[in-house]
Amino acid sequence: MLTVNHLAKSYDGEKKSLTDVSFSVRSGEVTVIIGPSGAGKTTILRSINQLIRDDEGEILFDQIDMRQLNRVQLRRARSHIGMIFQSYNLIEPLTAIENVLHGCLGTKSNFAGIFSIYNNREKEEALKLLQKVGLEEFAYQQCRNLSGGQKQRVGIARALMQHPKIILCDEPIASLDPKSTITVMDILRGLAVNDGISVLINLHQVDIAREYADHVIGINNGQVVFDDRTQALSDAAITGIYRKNANLEGSLVHES
Amino acid sequence: MIKPENQISLPTQVPTGPRLTIPLRFRDRRRITIMLTLLVLAYITLITLPTMIPSHFKLGAALMSFTENIKIMFLQPHLTNTTFLTLLGALGQSILLAFLTTLLGSVLAFFFALASTRRLAPTPLVLGIQSLMAVIRAIPTVLWVLIYSVVFGLGADAAVVGITFHSVAYLTKVYADSMDELSPDSIETMQAMGLKKGTIIRQAVIPYLVSSYFSWTFIRFEINFADAIAVGAAAGAGGIGYQLFMSSSFYFNFHEVGVMVYMILAFALVLEIISYRLRSVTNQ
Repeated sequence: MLTVNHLAKSYDGEKKSLTDVSFSVRSGEVTVIIGPSGAGKTTILRSINQLIRDDEGEILFDQIDMRQLNRVQLRRARSHIGMIFQSYNLIEPLTAIENVLHGCLGTKSNFAGIFSIYNNREKEEALKLLQKVGLEEFAYQQCRNLSGGQKQRVGIARALMQHPKIILCDEPIASLDPKSTITVMDILRGLAVNDGISVLINLHQVDIAREYADHVIGINNGQVVFDDRTQALSDAAITGIYRKNANLEGSLVHES
Repeated sequence: MIKPENQISLPTQVPTGPRLTIPLRFRDRRRITIMLTLLVLAYITLITLPTMIPSHFKLGAALMSFTENIKIMFLQPHLTNTTFLTLLGALGQSILLAFLTTLLGSVLAFFFALASTRRLAPTPLVLGIQSLMAVIRAIPTVLWVLIYSVVFGLGADAAVVGITFHSVAYLTKVYADSMDELSPDSIETMQAMGLKKGTIIRQAVIPYLVSSYFSWTFIRFEINFADAIAVGAAAGAGGIGYQLFMSSSFYFNFHEVGVMVYMILAFALVLEIISYRLRSVTNQ
């Protein structure tokens, strides 16, 4: 599905924020990336859809290297990669259904985008997706009036509107309360199990990773230090993943 | 202009030792510079003020005639040479001049603003438009009208073009500033979904912009109304400004001036009420 080979990236040309990162993501699985803050989790995720242009390596998505695409090809590829953010990144003054419909604009013309032209099939699908995430009665609410958990569910519906083969989630639950966390993670898990979508999630919470992931990738200091099934994620392995930044992150691990 | 390296140079360590009061800020170079500048300006003002008053100036007499004229204007307003309907028509002309120039200005400025927003346009274009607009803004509206009256002749045409010109420069800046204040996240999210630029502007930028667009445009309408009055007098563009000029400088009829001032004040009050209503609508 997605294979990342020898990805390396440095922001200032000298200090490497990623050194030789390789891993692969299988269809219909939840893959979770864990690791201390600043280890490069976000950089990896954003390199996949080329929001961050990496310096070296290979990102094979459906056998196509994302790094070799030109602008138009990249736009087409991105229109089938869903992305979910910590801060939801909805267009707050617009309604939930308008935000969900943005997901299908990637395959439509600029004209349709500028005049917000959607056909009935697309509107029906948007409503169905809102129903799927349990927000059908909020379809015509402005997103700024929704709670954090509700906003994230709108974000998921928007990503699904793209008919994605993969959904990238950058700390999707970091701003949510425990109850919303479970709702959102259950939905994401359902997408992998029931719809066969690959779900790649950056997480801080090791316990959530253990509960929801099929496969775990541990990142420390820009390197892959763990890459195995969730069952193999022992306490010793977790300590290993968080080792070098022990002062900052050690306490966090013990709490979670 | 303060060089970047001279800006706030905070000490890295909090000073130790006994202290009577705990400071809220460190004394940095920028604050000292500002204080010194103010002191110098205050000194210059103090020594200039006495030399400005000429020897034949009588403060008492001047104050008397000032209060007399104010009294004529504001307490005894009435019309002799002109009718109220004429003045109402003239006020209408000024309002329409302000409306037309604001409308033209806001439409043109919207596109210039898109092209001068760092997140949406290439840097050379952004810098080019921003500096051009800064130059246009630096020259007052009335001067632009006079410059254009060389081309169009004194009158309404020069007023429309001149006021529009300055409005475009002003609105381009404030619209572009509002766009720059938007969170980059929403634009990035749209890019991550593979949306095209026009779609991104329409779906992610404009929804956030609507309320500030309306409030800035309305402020510019108020400015343009004031300019339309000034231009009516200075460039013969007609309207209430021209009537005001004729009564005050030509007929010395301060009773009529009073009527016009009250009419303008009444309209300014109406504008204030409208802007209040507009704010409560767009903030919803």
